[in-house]
Amino acid sequence: MKFANEIKELISYREMLRSLIKKDLRSRYRGSVLGFLWTLLNPLFQLLIYSVVFPHLLKVSEKNYPLFVFVGLLPWIFFTSAVSVATTSIVSNSNLIKKIYFPRLVIPFSVSAVSLINMLFGFIIAFAAIIITKTPVGLSLTALPAVILIQFLFVTGLCCIFSSLYVYFRDFEHIVSVLLTAWFYLTPVVYSEDLLSGKVKLISSLNPMTRIIYCYRQILLYNSLPQFSSIAVSAAYAIAVFIMGISLFSRLQRRFAEEI
Amino acid sequence: MDGCCIKAENVSKKFTVSSGGSTLKDTMLFRKNRACSSHCVLDGINLEIKKGEQVGLIGKNGCGKSTLLKLFSKIIYPDSGCITVSGRVSSLLELGAGFHPDFSGRENIYFNGAVLGLSKSEISQRLDDIISFSELSKFIDSPVRTYSSGMYMRLAFSIAVSSSAEILLIDEILAVGDAAFQEKCQRKIEELKNSGTTLVIVSHDESAIKRLCGRAVYLKDGKIAADASPDEAFEIYKNSD
Repeated sequence: MKFANEIKELISYREMLRSLIKKDLRSRYRGSVLGFLWTLLNPLFQLLIYSVVFPHLLKVSEKNYPLFVFVGLLPWIFFTSAVSVATTSIVSNSNLIKKIYFPRLVIPFSVSAVSLINMLFGFIIAFAAIIITKTPVGLSLTALPAVILIQFLFVTGLCCIFSSLYVYFRDFEHIVSVLLTAWFYLTPVVYSEDLLSGKVKLISSLNPMTRIIYCYRQILLYNSLPQFSSIAVSAAYAIAVFIMGISLFSRLQRRFAEEI
Repeated sequence: MDGCCIKAENVSKKFTVSSGGSTLKDTMLFRKNRACSSHCVLDGINLEIKKGEQVGLIGKNGCGKSTLLKLFSKIIYPDSGCITVSGRVSSLLELGAGFHPDFSGRENIYFNGAVLGLSKSEISQRLDDIISFSELSKFIDSPVRTYSSGMYMRLAFSIAVSSSAEILLIDEILAVGDAAFQEKCQRKIEELKNSGTTLVIVSHDESAIKRLCGRAVYLKDGKIAADASPDEAFEIYKNSD
């Protein structure tokens, strides 16, 4: 079983995975005065911008619109930052790839994990806002870890696919950025799914990110468990993309050191 | 595999030298008239290295020594043939690959150790040895970017030789630091040799190979031209021009 071997090797290099994550989190804010605090300040400022700007620009029916956007935006940023950083990650770590042996999967996994951790910091702000605005939350929170896991598998799978393809096709960086912009408008992040109709609604419902963001909102905003079908569909997407990503990556990685 | 820790069977490696770029456009439009010439670096290599053996790889620049070492360390893979390596490998292909300049020496020890596949506790156990071997205890908490290149190399070498790998692959890095430190490195490698570490060394330094290795393999144009004692191999090497 090739897939199992890849995962097993990755686990034996977990210390490297941990160091890469730590290195990334620490070096990102190194040199800035507020340092690690930025991890919290960034989402906080975003939340403030949404609560000040949007109600003035748009007529929104959503009653707690800033929080509505924020809860959708956190998983979206996790997704989009992981995928765009991961795409070039193998090439930007060429000094390691060319000189040292280690399971190459460590790299896309660490990128995905860093974005996940940043989202979790954002959730601290989200929870504070939930408490301040007296939005009811309850037992449905128990479903949150499952949703996070599903999204992590989905995002990591995509990171593996894009990072390995980019080594062979450098155009991919630009394709990915166009793709992510289009994807953003097809995902109900700043608007509500109910606004869609016809074909767009159909496309949007096939979009795994729509399902995932819907799950987060059900849990955090509406204090209810997401429909089982939504969880099942996104889990199926996630597992399929994850397995596909790792198999593609393990096939393409053999020539990484020569191609970069 | 008993007693044998590196085995190469009929290994060949070609490098493609392409004049075109690797963009999507180039691949799609100019697939047919893409000028590709391939250069055969290794051609049907058969080599067995036993556990605890010390082997030197010698030959002219571009004869495939470093490529063979990269194949052993699984950084690249052969086009045909098969390589089996059993045991933990530490490769000293380039020292300090993966050092992060903004992090302190101590942090880089942890990071580099992790890249070599060590766990955190294994690194902690070796930390004092690494620091004292590198003679950098005064500077170990300053960022690596403030190090001189000699200090940088000393730290990297100390980490690599402390990883207690069963197989050590060394590419032309015996000349690290000043004369005293070089002397120390050689002693350390001899110590590893005596404790049964398998060594594969690529070097142009005849005396180092003769001192450290019991066997030398002379590569010429991607083929093994001689596989003998270091004295004999160097004899053939010198007479072959």
